Amino acid sequence: MNFQVKFRILAAAALLAAACGGPKADAPVPAGAAAAGTTTNAAGAAPKTLTIAVIPKGTTHEFWKSIHAGAVQAGREMGVDVLWKGPQKEDDRAQQITVVEDVISRGVDGIVLAPLDDRALVRPVQDAGREKIPVVIMDSGLQGKDYLSFVATDNYQGGILAARRMGELLQGKGRIFRIRYQAGSASTTDRENGFLETLTKEFPAIKVLIQDQYAGATTETAYQLAENLLGRFPDVDGVFCPNESSTFGTLRALQEARLAGKVKFVGFDSSPKLVQALRDGHLHGIVLQNPVKMGYLGVLQIVKAIRGEKIPERIDTGVTLATLENMDTPEIKALLSPDLSILEK
Amino acid sequence: MTANPDAAPVPRLRGVEDGSALEMRSIRKQFGATVALDDVDFTLGRGEIHALLGENGAGKSTLVKIISGAVRPDRGVMRLAGRPFHPPGPLAGRLSGISMIYQELNLAPHLTVEENVVLGREASVGGFLKRRGVREKIRETLAFLGHSEIPLDVPTGRLSVGTRQIVEISRAIMDRSSILVMDEPTSSLAREDTERLFQVIRKLRAEGVSVIYISHFLEEVREVADVYTVLRDGRNVGAGRMADASFEEIIRLMVGSKMSDFFPRVPREQGDRLLALKALKGVRMGGAVSLEMRRGEIVGLAGLIGAGRTETLRTVFGLDATASGGVELEGRAAGPGRPWRMIARGFGLLSEDRQGEGLALSRSITDNVTLSRLGPYRRRGFLSLKKRAAAAAGWIAALNIKAGGPQLPVAGLSGGNQQKVALARLLHQDADVLLLDEPTRGIDVMSKAQIYDWMGRAAAEGKGLLFVSSYFPELLGVCDRIVVFHRGRIVADRPAAEWTDESLMAASMTGKA
Amino acid sequence: MTLRPKIKIQTVLNLVAPFMGLILVIALFSAMPDVQSRFLRAANLKSVATQSVIVALGALGMTLVIIGGGIDLSAASNIALSSVIAAYAINAGLPPLLGLVLGILTGGLIGLVNGTLITRLKLVPFIITMGMMGIARGAAKWIARNQKIDAPLTWINELMSKSPHPPWLVLAPGVWLMIVFAVVMAVVLRYTVFGRHIFAIGSNEAAARLCGVRTVRTKILFYTVSGLFLGLAGVMEFSRLTVGDPTVAVGLELDIIAAVVIGGGSLSGGEGSIMGSMIGVFIMAFLRNGCTMMGWPNYIQEIIIGVIIVAAVALDQVRHRRTA
Repeated sequence: MNFQVKFRILAAAALLAAACGGPKADAPVPAGAAAAGTTTNAAGAAPKTLTIAVIPKGTTHEFWKSIHAGAVQAGREMGVDVLWKGPQKEDDRAQQITVVEDVISRGVDGIVLAPLDDRALVRPVQDAGREKIPVVIMDSGLQGKDYLSFVATDNYQGGILAARRMGELLQGKGRIFRIRYQAGSASTTDRENGFLETLTKEFPAIKVLIQDQYAGATTETAYQLAENLLGRFPDVDGVFCPNESSTFGTLRALQEARLAGKVKFVGFDSSPKLVQALRDGHLHGIVLQNPVKMGYLGVLQIVKAIRGEKIPERIDTGVTLATLENMDTPEIKALLSPDLSILEK
Repeated sequence: MTANPDAAPVPRLRGVEDGSALEMRSIRKQFGATVALDDVDFTLGRGEIHALLGENGAGKSTLVKIISGAVRPDRGVMRLAGRPFHPPGPLAGRLSGISMIYQELNLAPHLTVEENVVLGREASVGGFLKRRGVREKIRETLAFLGHSEIPLDVPTGRLSVGTRQIVEISRAIMDRSSILVMDEPTSSLAREDTERLFQVIRKLRAEGVSVIYISHFLEEVREVADVYTVLRDGRNVGAGRMADASFEEIIRLMVGSKMSDFFPRVPREQGDRLLALKALKGVRMGGAVSLEMRRGEIVGLAGLIGAGRTETLRTVFGLDATASGGVELEGRAAGPGRPWRMIARGFGLLSEDRQGEGLALSRSITDNVTLSRLGPYRRRGFLSLKKRAAAAAGWIAALNIKAGGPQLPVAGLSGGNQQKVALARLLHQDADVLLLDEPTRGIDVMSKAQIYDWMGRAAAEGKGLLFVSSYFPELLGVCDRIVVFHRGRIVADRPAAEWTDESLMAASMTGKA
Repeated sequence: MTLRPKIKIQTVLNLVAPFMGLILVIALFSAMPDVQSRFLRAANLKSVATQSVIVALGALGMTLVIIGGGIDLSAASNIALSSVIAAYAINAGLPPLLGLVLGILTGGLIGLVNGTLITRLKLVPFIITMGMMGIARGAAKWIARNQKIDAPLTWINELMSKSPHPPWLVLAPGVWLMIVFAVVMAVVLRYTVFGRHIFAIGSNEAAARLCGVRTVRTKILFYTVSGLFLGLAGVMEFSRLTVGDPTVAVGLELDIIAAVVIGGGSLSGGEGSIMGSMIGVFIMAFLRNGCTMMGWPNYIQEIIIGVIIVAAVALDQVRHRRTA
């Protein structure tokens, strides 16, 4: 256990070094040491610890917990306080605006935001700029240029990985479904496009039976859609899903129809149930993002910027394909079952 | 008083020409098969307090509903202040100067006195309320009624019942009503409030307002009314000046000579003492009640509505909380307790409100009959539906309930058959003490006879029955003993044979036996 | 009169209780060392005021409905639909003013339909508006094709901007609208026949009818007025989000109802005030704001607001018992 934690920290630091090209030694900065980014209070006495607000889209899903863990990790290493606050209702745009406004009011030194809407959050981010609070955007994009950096997964690349895995599994021929997530969701649309475009280009013999059906927001809606599709095409050869809820819903439908394992199935994102399915051979590939790294780098970038360093405008946190073969290697294992124990303390 | 009474413009009243304020000729009204009013004449003089008397169901309320416009007569002519009058609804009646003051008050409890008095008649300019002149007028009206102490800005929900009544009367006067109908206005008033009310009524009379006054309290009626009309079974059976009539005459008119009903008599013997109420007083009862009953005895509870009979049964059964006193069953304390406990101890209640709480109307006969005793059909927590239905079918046959089957909902049955289902529940429950509240109200003669028969049989089996009824002949025909309630207390307790229709009526109305 | 002192206590209690809650909440966060200096800053008060506009506008209408003995569960869906309609209209190239008017009218129409169905079908408002909750939400998603509508930015989006043009406005135009309408509605409730009749209907509908109050017309009217306010709240929601989002404000009707109830509105009708409801709105807004500033997790915030709602309704009950 202890070894694993240590390993994870090392791995994160290594990834960080690779991503930024900076020296590894710059990670743990003692509080107060970097005078450039440290504000002083009114009395002008002791320097104050930086407070960074990290605002996710929601707080209950595994994905956001991983981001939380990464952010806390970075906070510890950099010696800054992390204020974690999501909208009260998951995915409520209006409430996320309120949260941004409130942390601006509270007065934080920087904000790391995963915007629920590429447009609705523009104004609150501008407000932050007016208050001289720097903002780093993570996970999903935001219109305009009122932020310092965008830290996110290259979703299109994730779609490419999934398509190549599917082509390999089916040896270049067969009939598949491309299940979509939800109309208007930018990140999943990129994955869906990356998948379809790569598949048609590199594996023209594979026929996409279904390519424009939306699974909807919940596992339940995804389950129903997959059930209906499998009822119509029980002899389908492969299925692709672009996120966790659609993957899990479809998995349940495949298991119910006793097709799990027979139908080649490539999904997105990790959860304990999906890891088990991978081990059971019901799922043949999961494209993994690196949410821990996303949270980590989000906080790291903002602190660097506050301390006067130049940071890149775009940081890719990478995608990885997990399969039955590689799932027990340490790197993949850390991605499949992120260590969230840091949140307990 | 703020205003000088001489200078105060006393409200002008309508219908001030000489002659009668209201004339009704040959009024007939039928509800289904029941003739509520049959060829009734009624004349109300100007500035007259006119008592409208009669037993429950004699047609008084139908008559005043026709006057108010709430009910339209099938036949007959009405003239208001000499002009033909056919109000299409209660609002039209009110606009013609007829105000009703009911037992349940028609005030909005959250609104203030001022707001209630002008409700529906607010003076306004472009939608905005105009208040100044209005408050003066209300003050004058209250002063005229001798109640200038009533504050205008207090929500009426916080006033006493008596004060609320004065507020309602002020509203009627502000409406310039020429006719005021008061239905049992004193039933919930203390004596001094009643006195205040009478003073107000007399003042109104002096201003030429006519008052129709309905009350069961004969002494009060004699005190305040000038003229009376007695209704019986939907007919006008007598009218005259109050001063010329004696109590006895009026009671005889009200009771009449009744058709002799058929009261089957089941031979029975009285056993040991079964039930004793020891100075029992419930939170809604006017006074403490002590009463004893033996096995095999049917005890009648006579009295006017609101005299405390229903409240007594409900307190015994635990539906109303007990304030003091207790209940003994076979010499042992058996109450107060919640209904479920009282059922376990052998009590059963048949509610006067059959539709409201007596029966679950949308449920089947089986459900209703067996609800209070499911024990015999329960095995390991499950109900044997078949056995239960069979038992219900047995009761349907025994009580001669006319129904398609035990599975049908009670709502589809006639009133008489519904009441038999309610009785079957008590019998099925095998209660020792049956508390029956108006079990024969509104049901047909044959059903009544069958219910009397079963009451007799239950007594013969050694059960005890407390029987509340407002229909004196059935009390006389069925009971062994009759007690009379008056204003919350028992005022007389005698064997049934020593009572007559007239003496029961007199005791109920006057409290003297 | 012996009643006098009791009435005074009652009146004082009714008047002060909601204020006390608000003062308590503000005092609580002002005493927290972490946020003390920031909590009462003008900028923070400005942002709380802006955040309150939508719930406040909804609460203005809901106060009428609740005083009149009704309830409107479709409020939040109505806001979503109105915001989508406004966005749709502007996206279709209509002038922004027309989009604003259409949004408000959409809200009014929903209210009119609610009121008409409640009075004509003689069904309880709970059922009708629960149905309307689904209908309006569904319609919003349908019109928006199940996604948000990105309408071009116009002056409408400035209505909820914390830094308004011109700067002498100090507060967002939406905040001014909220203040003006709160005063207007307080006057309407207190000084017009319409307001008086709403109280009468909520207090004792049968008595009101008997006294010649046109109950059906009055009810339809107050549901419509309430709908117009929800429509305006919808336009404000659009202004704030800059997009028309059919999934916005889910569950907001409960916030609106809670605000009215915390402010002394009685769900059995006849009681309530605009002042109280506005205080209720601000109690909840300051709580949210304070909790976020403290960095407390969402669940603490939810628990606190839940406790406050129950406490407020319990207080309502106590006052009722005194009245009876």
